[in-house]
Amino acid sequence: MRAEAITAHGGGMWSWLLQRITAVLLIVMLAIHLILTHILNIGELTYDNIAARLAHAGFTVVDLILLAAGIFHALNGLRMVLMDYWFTSRTRALALSIVLWVVGIAAMAYGTWALWPWIT
Amino acid sequence: MSGRPRETANVGAGLWKATGMWAWLLFRISGLILVFYLGAHIIVISTGRFDRLNELMKAFDNPVLVLMDLALVVAVLYHALNGVRIILMDFGIGVKRHKVMFWTAVAVVIVCFAVFAWVAFTFIVTGEGVTS
Repeated sequence: MRAEAITAHGGGMWSWLLQRITAVLLIVMLAIHLILTHILNIGELTYDNIAARLAHAGFTVVDLILLAAGIFHALNGLRMVLMDYWFTSRTRALALSIVLWVVGIAAMAYGTWALWPWIT
Repeated sequence: MSGRPRETANVGAGLWKATGMWAWLLFRISGLILVFYLGAHIIVISTGRFDRLNELMKAFDNPVLVLMDLALVVAVLYHALNGVRIILMDFGIGVKRHKVMFWTAVAVVIVCFAVFAWVAFTFIVTGEGVTS
């Protein structure tokens, strides 16, 4: 584990690469998300205000990218942590991945459902 | 990693001692906090769809939740900045200066924490946001 610290972590190349890509996406989108919600859109966080904000397509796009990148980054990160403790064998790691994909797709569906009135 | 393997290996070992160990541990803890926050965020926003959002939002004025927001600021900022540090090191940038990058990240987190703590306590005491 220690010797591999710089170059590899055992999670696979795609996991590593996507974790970096989503990290950069999250920094940019999160900055936009926070500036829009907390600085430019000062006011009551009421349904009407939020609905008016989401009426702009750009907001929905940012939110959807945040949702997808956030869910992937969070669950892949959780997977890396858990693989250090109990999910150490290939079989356990595979089972963990499958469970996390199911959780991730469900979370994505739930989040998209919440945004649905502004998508359609 | 081409070039000087022995030197790289030594630096790599150093990444796991003292400072590097804390950077890693805090990164892991903040990451786990953020996983739970993201889950809670998706559940709250999605259940709050349509008119129920107004009542849900009022619950977030609770001082305990405001303090948790403060913890969230620290977790997000530290995780983001240390994440940048890790990505830079993946490109071979600043591997030898990883401690400087860590303390820079910590300094930025402390400054932002001070600013956000002021906002949070103003809100808790007066019940009004500083910016609104």
